[in-house]
Amino acid sequence: MKKGVFILLLGLALAAAAYGCVYLLGTSSARNLEQSSRPELSWLKQEFNLSDSDFEKVCALHQAYLPQCADMCRQIEAQNQRVRTLLAATNQMTAEIESAIAESARLRGQCQRNMLQHFYEVSRTMPPEQGRRYLEWVQERTLAGEGMTHHQ
Amino acid sequence: MNEPDKHDEALGKLLQQWRADAPLPPGFQKAVWRRIEQSQISAAPAPWTVIARWIASALPRPALAVSYVAILLTLGLTAGWAQARQETARVKNAMGERYIRSLDPYQAPPPEMR
Repeated sequence: MKKGVFILLLGLALAAAAYGCVYLLGTSSARNLEQSSRPELSWLKQEFNLSDSDFEKVCALHQAYLPQCADMCRQIEAQNQRVRTLLAATNQMTAEIESAIAESARLRGQCQRNMLQHFYEVSRTMPPEQGRRYLEWVQERTLAGEGMTHHQ
Repeated sequence: MNEPDKHDEALGKLLQQWRADAPLPPGFQKAVWRRIEQSQISAAPAPWTVIARWIASALPRPALAVSYVAILLTLGLTAGWAQARQETARVKNAMGERYIRSLDPYQAPPPEMR
């Protein structure tokens, strides 16, 4: 009986050890990503096989874009607030609402132009094939993905 | 030795003359069969006993022991690999979304911020 129990436990212990080792080994890159100081940029480096020098350029572009993006965010939020206030004040279309909607659209267009410009700049720092892949990927998730409607 | 034989003979004759005229109670046969079935069920070994017997007798056989350990090892490796792959894909996906959200003000915030 003792020998049988020993073999039973040995099998279970080996299975648990094998699971743990393979899991830790297999998730090491993901853990490194999560623990890095700029996880999203580290991910970009890994995903698009960027060299260190390319990665530095991408980081510089990213840092330069963020204040511009934050400013855009503030403007969009202020405009959204304005639209909400106007909509709450009436139950019909007014010139002010029309103007606010137009301004929202203008801001959205401006934001998309800035974003697309940034994507092009980032893609140019990458090797051509990766740059193409990057552009496809970001555009699918931002500008190209926005055209989808729910009425089809 | 003769006395008990005579007794048995007398008892045998007496039993042959004995007739039971009283009728059997209703459902007697059914009840007997039920009791027989119940005694058979309770005689079947419990699952744990079967497992313990198998561990004690069959598992120590070298061929079976090696197969058992090899199968568990393979299961552990496969499960670890599959789980790691799933977790890595999840993290990469989350990082990609995070990158997009850092650039696009019109992206929906992550679920925990909504």
